[in-house]
Amino acid sequence: MTTIEEQIWDYIDGKCDAETQHVLEAKIAVDETYKAMYTELMSVNQHLQDMTLDEPAMAFNRKVMDLVQLEIAPVSLKTRVDQRIISAIAGFFLLIIVSILAYAFSQADYTLPRMNFSFSLDSRITPLLIKGFLFLDALLALLYIDALLRKKRT
Amino acid sequence: MQEQETDLALITAVLDGHTQEYSKLVSRHQRFVFTLALRFTRNREDAEEVAQDCFVKAYRALGTFKQTSKFSTWLYTITYTSAMTSLRKKRLQTLSLDEEGPAQHLAHAVSGFNTENAEKKSAHVYLNMAIDSLSSEDAAIVTLFYKGEQSLEEIGQNLHMDPNTIKVKLHRARIKLREKLQYLLKDEVKELI
Repeated sequence: MTTIEEQIWDYIDGKCDAETQHVLEAKIAVDETYKAMYTELMSVNQHLQDMTLDEPAMAFNRKVMDLVQLEIAPVSLKTRVDQRIISAIAGFFLLIIVSILAYAFSQADYTLPRMNFSFSLDSRITPLLIKGFLFLDALLALLYIDALLRKKRT
Repeated sequence: MQEQETDLALITAVLDGHTQEYSKLVSRHQRFVFTLALRFTRNREDAEEVAQDCFVKAYRALGTFKQTSKFSTWLYTITYTSAMTSLRKKRLQTLSLDEEGPAQHLAHAVSGFNTENAEKKSAHVYLNMAIDSLSSEDAAIVTLFYKGEQSLEEIGQNLHMDPNTIKVKLHRARIKLREKLQYLLKDEVKELI
């Protein structure tokens, strides 16, 4: 249950629904208690709206700009990561994957009724290469998830 | 909306390399940032230091401003965190209306006015004295609501509080201000009302 003062503050702030607003307007018009409270709160509200802001020293702006000149100029975050680089890296790995698949199929023995994929890539694909490949894949996946989350947030 | 577009235009110009345009952003917001800092620090020198720190931090982080909220909301949040950091460092004691009597508090008011000449002061001075008697948080909420053009949700964002909490605090601050103004203005309140 809100007090008379709370009701009138909500009315002054425009936070009431239409029905409550109408009821309060009627009460303010006929009830002396509501009328007196409304007049007083309107006065306080007006004083608060007329509140003056303090002024800093005359040289404030110059001091801030002097400090700012010592900083690195800011750039928009989205310009730090060039989309073309991401696309090039993704394209490179796609090319490798397609090349491996193409090589595998080219070396396959298509003997019907069954296919014999007998080929050896051990000499070319070392454990270090696989680890590097997986690491870069993880990095690309994280960048993609980051971009997706940023889009969702905006 | 025109003000918002102009702020964004200035930010875009700064990010494009025209760093001198930042001076216009500072000029536009310096009075409010300084006033908000003063609500917390209760001291002009410390408030200037906090306000300067706020604008420098905002400049550094300008590239991360996502433009999903108003620039002023973002700036005032930085002001609040800068003020809190400063207060923690200096270990200031904020004044509470419940702890001190009105007459004693007036003697320690930031404005430094002589209480013996109170009857000669304008309503604006009395209002500032009344606001100075509030807690830092309440004074900041009142300032953000009336002069910062911030909604309750935006003030909640600035001060890391729930909007309902802000509403309750704003209401209590208004009650205190009304009582304080009645005390300060005494017979003059009837003339003003």
